[in-house]
Amino acid sequence: MTMGDESISPSGIDWTKTAAQGVTNFQTFGCNVFKASLPTPDRLTPDISFVRQVTTSGNLVAPDGVRLRYWAFEDPASGIKSPYPSPLMRVREGQIVHVTLLTAKHAHTIHHHGIEPTTMHDGVGHVSFEVANQFTYQWKASSPGTFFYHCHRNTPLHFEMGMFGGLIVDPPEGPGYLYSTPMQNAPYQRYQVERLWVCDDMDARWHNVLSNNHDAGMCGENVGLNRFEPKYFLINGVFPTKTMTDQRVAAKARVGETILIRLLNASYSILRVTFQVPVTCVSCDGHRLGKESWNAPIVFPAGTPIELTSAARLDFLITATQRGAINATIEYLHWITRRVQDNGRGVAKTQIVVS
Amino acid sequence: MERRDFLKIGAGATTVALAATAQQMITPTDTPLSSPAPTPMSLSGSSDLAQSLRLVIEPVEKEMIDGKIVYMVFYFHESGQPQPVLRYREGEPVSISVTNNDLVPHGFAITGIPQATVPEIPPGQTRQVPDFVAPVGGSYLYHDPYEPPLNRILGLHGAFIVDPALGTTVAGSATPFSRAMHTPQIAAVFDAFGRHPRFPGERWKAGDPARDKLWLFSQTDSAINARVAAGYRISGQALIDAFLPDHFHINGLSGFDTAVHDTTASVDRAAAQAIEPVGKQGQPTLLRVMNAGLCTHSAHIHGNHLFECTEADASGVPYCETNVYERDVWIMRPMDRKDMILPFERPPDVPVWPPREEPFPLKYVMHCHTEMSQTAGGGNYPQGLVTHWTMTSPIYAF
Ligand SMILES: [Cu+2]
Ligand SMILES: [Cu+2]
Repeated sequence: MTMGDESISPSGIDWTKTAAQGVTNFQTFGCNVFKASLPTPDRLTPDISFVRQVTTSGNLVAPDGVRLRYWAFEDPASGIKSPYPSPLMRVREGQIVHVTLLTAKHAHTIHHHGIEPTTMHDGVGHVSFEVANQFTYQWKASSPGTFFYHCHRNTPLHFEMGMFGGLIVDPPEGPGYLYSTPMQNAPYQRYQVERLWVCDDMDARWHNVLSNNHDAGMCGENVGLNRFEPKYFLINGVFPTKTMTDQRVAAKARVGETILIRLLNASYSILRVTFQVPVTCVSCDGHRLGKESWNAPIVFPAGTPIELTSAARLDFLITATQRGAINATIEYLHWITRRVQDNGRGVAKTQIVVS
Repeated sequence: MERRDFLKIGAGATTVALAATAQQMITPTDTPLSSPAPTPMSLSGSSDLAQSLRLVIEPVEKEMIDGKIVYMVFYFHESGQPQPVLRYREGEPVSISVTNNDLVPHGFAITGIPQATVPEIPPGQTRQVPDFVAPVGGSYLYHDPYEPPLNRILGLHGAFIVDPALGTTVAGSATPFSRAMHTPQIAAVFDAFGRHPRFPGERWKAGDPARDKLWLFSQTDSAINARVAAGYRISGQALIDAFLPDHFHINGLSGFDTAVHDTTASVDRAAAQAIEPVGKQGQPTLLRVMNAGLCTHSAHIHGNHLFECTEADASGVPYCETNVYERDVWIMRPMDRKDMILPFERPPDVPVWPPREEPFPLKYVMHCHTEMSQTAGGGNYPQGLVTHWTMTSPIYAF
């Protein structure tokens, strides 16, 4: 047996072609990351599988008429072209999940954010590898809650370009259940109305100029990826002109029902969210509050400003106690000045109409 | 792109004699920039109570990760360590003097310890920080309060760490916080390690640099620094409005330099090791996370959620949380200090543990998710505020 063979795994993976056993240097860290199309390490039979195909031909027309280009992950089986945000993955606690990435022309990855698998399944190129053509990620859903997935290559650009989608882990009972067992500290178990609010902001320079090069800036050029000046703000792909009524964002409920809002900050702003009613935060970054003795759900009185930075998730329960509208305001704040973006215009409002 | 390996004094603002002294001062040593000092605390005055710790303010030219040379100003320990970690035990008398070798006034302050303030030190002068006693155990930040926040942004900041006089929980688990600060929730977390079925392995260990890490975040706007080197002054809201950082640091380092790689130069190794948590499953590690800059960072970690243990109150005094969130993203506003625990637990979504085919070590990144911070010089992903942690082996080998 030669030296080299010792680095070949049972399924034929040559670990020296990845950051696991390849020589890591300044180049493999950034400008020239390991690229491969490997078999799935430690492959098991999946309980549920997804396919995500990269597309770079998305176009969105903003209310001011400006066309914004974006990239996305398509689910080929759905027939839906260039979805924005990328299609939701919904799995159940305990399932073995397979996600197959098809990259099209350039290298990409999928990082299942908040999911904690092995390094090779975590989707960060400089500590593992970037997917040249195809790879199937594997993980087991251990914690019911709100997560998301996104590309982790040249992340400032690829994440901003729209390569992200929601990821929800339901308990074994499925949607409608927060958790399968009530706990003394966390009795909440059921909900009747659900919305995932994926909040994003867009800078037209990034979407229409920087997007001409997948690898913009990666090998030393100054392309201004430290400068982000968003003028467009969205929830679930809906601009603020429509968020009060578009049922992808706004919702309807009946008196007595419980509403679950899963909030994800997919923007580069600080989100400041204010509900007009008291809300109970039941989960934080996909981990149930009250499951362990060191934390518990937290009730925010009506009008409390709640801040989330990029990629954070909070799950809120709201009880519809009377007829009328429950309003929510989401402000997008600059990460240095903390002012509302775009001279105060970075605001989206929505509502849950209770009848 | 060429790599940097030096930090040199000069900037034309200092005399030749000073430059010579400084060249000597910054000869690479084995002492990592940010590692907790070994016992006895070598960077504190504990060995001789009568003796002051001496800090010297010097302008420097520092090479960034992308090769750019940037004017900065640092506090140096007399050993030559820039931005030294100052470490004392609760109740210990602290005596510090600060010499200003710059051409403009500076000062000294520690957040949460108001008496430890020197508002102004004229150029060429030395001032004694009013003597004080090290307060409750936790993480503090020293900085230059003169012309805020300019001097802090230029590099005049560092960590001030206090080890508790009595840090154990009632059940006997070591913690980095004074028992008087403990909440039932904090005690529950530290008592869970090694006992709770989720955390087989060890408890947290005090006094072990491998289990006690500093992650001091900062940002640099090289254009502003260049103008300041040429005599321009800007501070207050005007600086916040003008600030467009192009370099992002952990303990003054960026990207590749923040963890140990196969090709890491030996002189860079100690500083990288001081940042990168390395250990086996079941070796919980404290992360003292601070932000001396002007950006609000969205720190995000892979592989494990972290326990958010402390933050500082309005006056800057650290306190223990009564609701310890498990987070993969935590907000770091300017001047925030949060002590987090990385449990080194089995990454919970690995289907079969330990993996059979995939080799150890497992490596998981920590980075700011406001991704502008992942750049250097407007590009160069991921040469910004990023590092990783390394799990070398599972507890049970099969
Ligand atoms: Cu992420
Ligand atoms: Cu990430």
